[in-house]
Amino acid sequence: MAAVADLPDDVARVALELPLRANLSALDNIALIPLYQRHYGAAESARQAQAMLDQLGHADIALLRDPDMTPAQRFVTQLARAIILKRPRLVIDRPGAMLYDVPYPAFIRQLAAQAAMTGTWEIFDFSWNQALYQA
Amino acid sequence: MNFLTASIESLGAKVVGWFTVGYGMFAFLVRALLLLLDRTTWNRATFDVVVKQVYFTAVQILHVFMGYTLVISWLIITIILSTAGDFGLTAFASEMTIRVLVLELLPFLTALFIALRSGSAINTEVALMQVNNELDALAHCKVPPMQFEFLPRLIGGMVSVITLAGLAGLLALLMGYLTIYGMSTAGFGPYTQTIAKIFDFKIMVGLIVKCALFGLAVTLIPVTAGLETPKKLFMVPVSVLRGMMRVFFAIVAIEVVSLALKYI
Repeated sequence: MAAVADLPDDVARVALELPLRANLSALDNIALIPLYQRHYGAAESARQAQAMLDQLGHADIALLRDPDMTPAQRFVTQLARAIILKRPRLVIDRPGAMLYDVPYPAFIRQLAAQAAMTGTWEIFDFSWNQALYQA
Repeated sequence: MNFLTASIESLGAKVVGWFTVGYGMFAFLVRALLLLLDRTTWNRATFDVVVKQVYFTAVQILHVFMGYTLVISWLIITIILSTAGDFGLTAFASEMTIRVLVLELLPFLTALFIALRSGSAINTEVALMQVNNELDALAHCKVPPMQFEFLPRLIGGMVSVITLAGLAGLLALLMGYLTIYGMSTAGFGPYTQTIAKIFDFKIMVGLIVKCALFGLAVTLIPVTAGLETPKKLFMVPVSVLRGMMRVFFAIVAIEVVSLALKYI
């Protein structure tokens, strides 16, 4: 798994060790990216973040903070933050560690179908979980 | 002999540790200052976070702080007036009140107030961010933690201590007048003359610099102490303890140096 941590800068990662800012809402966590990287105003950044959550089918979690989210909601927020980075590759690192409350291969497939994103999603998981993806 | 060697080694390790901590704080401050000079820092997002910090540090506690200032000022003024009366020094009471309260005690208490309320919270939050990898996550997303998390806290702390100490000073001056002269306007002339005599340019600059240093101490030290925290949850209370002790010593040191510069 060290290989995942050593991935180049142009890879957006969703991983257990890259958590959300605990005192910010889901919306604010996502809005940080357009706000600080692309220098949009606060209102426009919030609008883009909300649009991303809408796209992933989780508009209702916008105001939740990390401790108030279910593992699946937390994962969706981390995923939205990674997608809004607009990097060519997106790596989901050991999803089972983050999505222990849902059958995660199906959940990720469903999210991938909703998110219109260019580039590729890659999942790094333990080999013994391979059977879960083939189900 | 072994005991002596161990003692020297232990002392040496402590001194090296102090220098490392001091250097870490200095390096952090230099980075913050360089970032302050960078034009790109001053965007709307940073400004919004600074405003939010000032709100949480100063505005949110304003009513409690003003109540506490009123009580302390009234008590100190009453004690000074009664003691001055006992020694036949009533003529000097107003000057003594202003010097003790406005120049020394209220800025010091303001710094302690902010340190206990916001400094400890900042130390805990930064330590938790460090332990929970939140700073690494921000770095991964290329959101600069210095610009988003730390610099607004430093600026907010300085602005808050300066404004709260200023407000407390104004309130103390008003309390002083009312306690000495009551509702009469007869004392307005001599009282304002005493104020003008005390608050010359050097004293005003010294007071603002002292408050700014207090503000820096109550934010910079907790931030750096939080960043030093090893990535172990049980180290968070130790980090806060160390940070707050350093803040206390820094506040006392600033006050002692300021007194020495003024009166020695």
